[in-house]
Amino acid sequence: MTTNTSMTSAIQKWSRRFFMAAAGSLAISAAAGLPAFAQDAEWQKVVEAGKKEGKLILYTALVGQPSTKQIAAAFTKEYGIEVEILEARASEIRERVRVEQAAGRFAADVMFTSEGQTMLYDKEDKSVDPLPVTPNSQKIGDKFKLKVPMASVMTIPYGIMINTGLVKPADEPKSWKDIADPKWQGKILSDDPRAIGAGYLWFFSTYDKIGEDYVKKVASQKLVFTRDQRESQRRTARGEYSIYMPVIMTDFSDLKGLPVKFIIPEEGVPYVLYGNVMLKKAPHPNAAKLYLDFMQGPVVQKIYAGLGYGPVLPGMTDGLPADVKAISEAKLYGTTDTTRQNEMLAKSKDIFK
Amino acid sequence: MTIIHNRPLDDIAETAPTLAGNAFTRAFSGGSLWRLIGMLVLILILGFLTIYPLAMLLYGSLHSTPPGMAGEFNLNGYRSIMTTQNLIVLANTIGISLAKTIPSLTIAVFLAWIVARTDTPFRGTLEVLITLPFFIPPILTAMAWGMLANPQVGVINMVWRWATGATDPLVNIYSYGGVIWHMCQYSIPFLFLFMVDAFRAMDPSLEESSRMCGASRWTTFRKITLLLMLPVLTSSFMLSFIKGIETFESALFFGLPAGIKVITTDIYESINHRATPDYQYATSLSFAIMGLMFLLVIWQWWMLRGKSFQTVTGKGFRPSVMELGPWRWVTFAFCVLFFFITVVLPIGQLMLGSFFRFFGFYTYDMLTLEHYRNVFANSEFWRAVRNTMVLGLLGATATMALGAIVAYISVRTRWRGRNLIDSMAWLPWMMPGMVLGVGFLWAFAMLPGPIPIYGTIWALLLAYIALGTPVSVRVMTGAYHQLSYDLEECSRVHGATWAQTMWRIMVALAWPAFAVGWVLTFFGIMRELSASILLYSVGSETLAVVLMKLWANGNAEQVSVIGLMMMLLVIVFRWVQLSFIKARISKL
Repeated sequence: MTTNTSMTSAIQKWSRRFFMAAAGSLAISAAAGLPAFAQDAEWQKVVEAGKKEGKLILYTALVGQPSTKQIAAAFTKEYGIEVEILEARASEIRERVRVEQAAGRFAADVMFTSEGQTMLYDKEDKSVDPLPVTPNSQKIGDKFKLKVPMASVMTIPYGIMINTGLVKPADEPKSWKDIADPKWQGKILSDDPRAIGAGYLWFFSTYDKIGEDYVKKVASQKLVFTRDQRESQRRTARGEYSIYMPVIMTDFSDLKGLPVKFIIPEEGVPYVLYGNVMLKKAPHPNAAKLYLDFMQGPVVQKIYAGLGYGPVLPGMTDGLPADVKAISEAKLYGTTDTTRQNEMLAKSKDIFK
Repeated sequence: MTIIHNRPLDDIAETAPTLAGNAFTRAFSGGSLWRLIGMLVLILILGFLTIYPLAMLLYGSLHSTPPGMAGEFNLNGYRSIMTTQNLIVLANTIGISLAKTIPSLTIAVFLAWIVARTDTPFRGTLEVLITLPFFIPPILTAMAWGMLANPQVGVINMVWRWATGATDPLVNIYSYGGVIWHMCQYSIPFLFLFMVDAFRAMDPSLEESSRMCGASRWTTFRKITLLLMLPVLTSSFMLSFIKGIETFESALFFGLPAGIKVITTDIYESINHRATPDYQYATSLSFAIMGLMFLLVIWQWWMLRGKSFQTVTGKGFRPSVMELGPWRWVTFAFCVLFFFITVVLPIGQLMLGSFFRFFGFYTYDMLTLEHYRNVFANSEFWRAVRNTMVLGLLGATATMALGAIVAYISVRTRWRGRNLIDSMAWLPWMMPGMVLGVGFLWAFAMLPGPIPIYGTIWALLLAYIALGTPVSVRVMTGAYHQLSYDLEECSRVHGATWAQTMWRIMVALAWPAFAVGWVLTFFGIMRELSASILLYSVGSETLAVVLMKLWANGNAEQVSVIGLMMMLLVIVFRWVQLSFIKARISKL
């Protein structure tokens, strides 16, 4: 969740373009009195045009997720529009888009990325278009209607993982605060908080919500740093460390059968909000609008909820198995704020020398 | 004696105007215009492949924003790298690279000598086996060594504790030693491959005469064998040392937890882990390193200047081996030990792990073939295999052809501009891969619209050729240094045409080196990720991209399956190549 201070500063930086988009969406939501069929007719035109375009080029910064293909297949089934997907890590794909556009190559329609990256796309690279108003964009939870031009799709929750062979049930940490207990000294493997990534996300949210003293206490725990999320989970499972944090909670299903347990901290889960942006001069603009809408609709929202991600559309977790439901519905604790990144990275480097 | 004792090239030029003995030169001597055009074309090709992407990077280092964005020219990038912290990191990096290059080179020389120059039993099989780790993606061997040698539950340490009752671990891979060891895992086989054919092509009569003059085996090895190998050895040292400065997987994997920083992890961080990627910093730092590295190249020129290392001559070339007597079992044991530690231990882990649901959990109920099934059922994997094979075959052949031409001109002619093309061919080796990848992205994307390179498979092919050229030129340079001019002269005297001479002498005699270079380049292409991820387009995924996706999603076991299949391919390639070499040598 964005804090009030950062909200204010971000609001001050609203671009004019965005302001108009926001105004547009306000107008639509206020237009309950308008005949519904007028909006439907407009949307129907987009559907027809999108189908005619027949193709969508999707860039995604969420690398290697099988759900991406599953969703693309569902989209093709719904609209008959083929989806071509290009995957690369966040900084790589962002530079590709930037340089492609600078060279006049407008190759991609939609980018699936995080809220923080979207701000960079929007403010620094100016490579994105304002968001269209689509039927589903009105239905998502209010806190996921953003100031940046990103159509929110889901949240990735982060928690604590323990090795059940090394940690007795009575000793299990239940909250982020428990991590600071001296008994864990030298036993925690942590994603590196000094570089953009999961560790930094943990640092950012706990620093803001619990405070500097807490973070300093954790720093004195002799954390061992790593930058490989998945391999670190395995290392902890094999018994190198008692605790790995912060762990991507949705990975729990991939590790079933290993002596590990995923814990949702009492305070809540730091999270990264992912969503779609419309890239400038998209070659298939209508297909792109359909895709943005589709990703916020119940089909995709249920797919994500079923994997443990937090859906942005309410009521998507009904009927899920209890363990998945708990993760998918976990209380959202905090996320990073791109506008404060330099300041916070410097702080983290100072604390975790 | 067959060697033209240190007959300098300058001599040849003086005594034989326009290098009368040189077939290639003479072919063009009818018109220096053709030669000029040929050279210009070559310079243009190399310029496009190496100078152009580097020029984009240079722009990036001197401009406040990357290409295509409004900004201003300034020196902030270079200013920002001048910190004490960076100096310490640089010293640390150089130290690590030296600490891995010197033992790697020593061991590789010893192994190459054993395999090529002695009668050690099973040396043919050993030659294939000891090079295997080089062909496995570094991330896999890193994972395997992480499992073998972590201080808490590493297999080696568990065995050690069990056997000795000790409580302290025997080895800790998350340390300087670990970083260096993991780098050696790659540089020893690479250097071995790079050098072994030079050892094989050496005329043994020189060693024999040294022995007859009363020199001991050791003195002979030192004064004759090693000295004759000087071009190959200095090239090897530089390739390995420079690569050591640029390698970052080992440092990231094993160094980060131990607080070890090297230059490339700093560059990596400035691109991938800052609030916004700082390309100006990354490129400035890379150019500073490149400047330092170029001093090394100049040092090598200076070392080799005016010397000749021809060992393959027209007279009585008989590659025979030294009979070691009972000592051959010692050399055999050394090879086996090396094979066990560097191949059986890590690759055994990968192989074992690929049959279980999770690495490191080897219980009966975890046995599965699911990883193999998943890989084989993955259509994206097969598409990537096809793409990579096409790119590998085309890329390796084109790279070696280019390398052979550049090396030929720089070693065996006195043409104006030969030093220029030789140094141009070095350039890509001196730029860290992840930065050079960005250079290719900028270079190809910024080409005028009608030039259809960016977004096609050609972008990948061109990048691979550029990346492979330094090795191909080095391999071929080493081989050409060894060929005596009298071979060409002899061929021409006997009435062979220029083309026949080229084919029968320059190609036939240098082709074992060509084949090794080809294999090195082919597998270099197979593993290349930094440029691939920035240049691939939908449908042109390469194997490295697929591996990265699988790894990022936590499918380490599937990555291993693919890694093992790549290794199998290496065994096939190497086997074909070596049986071919043997057939050719017996014909000679």
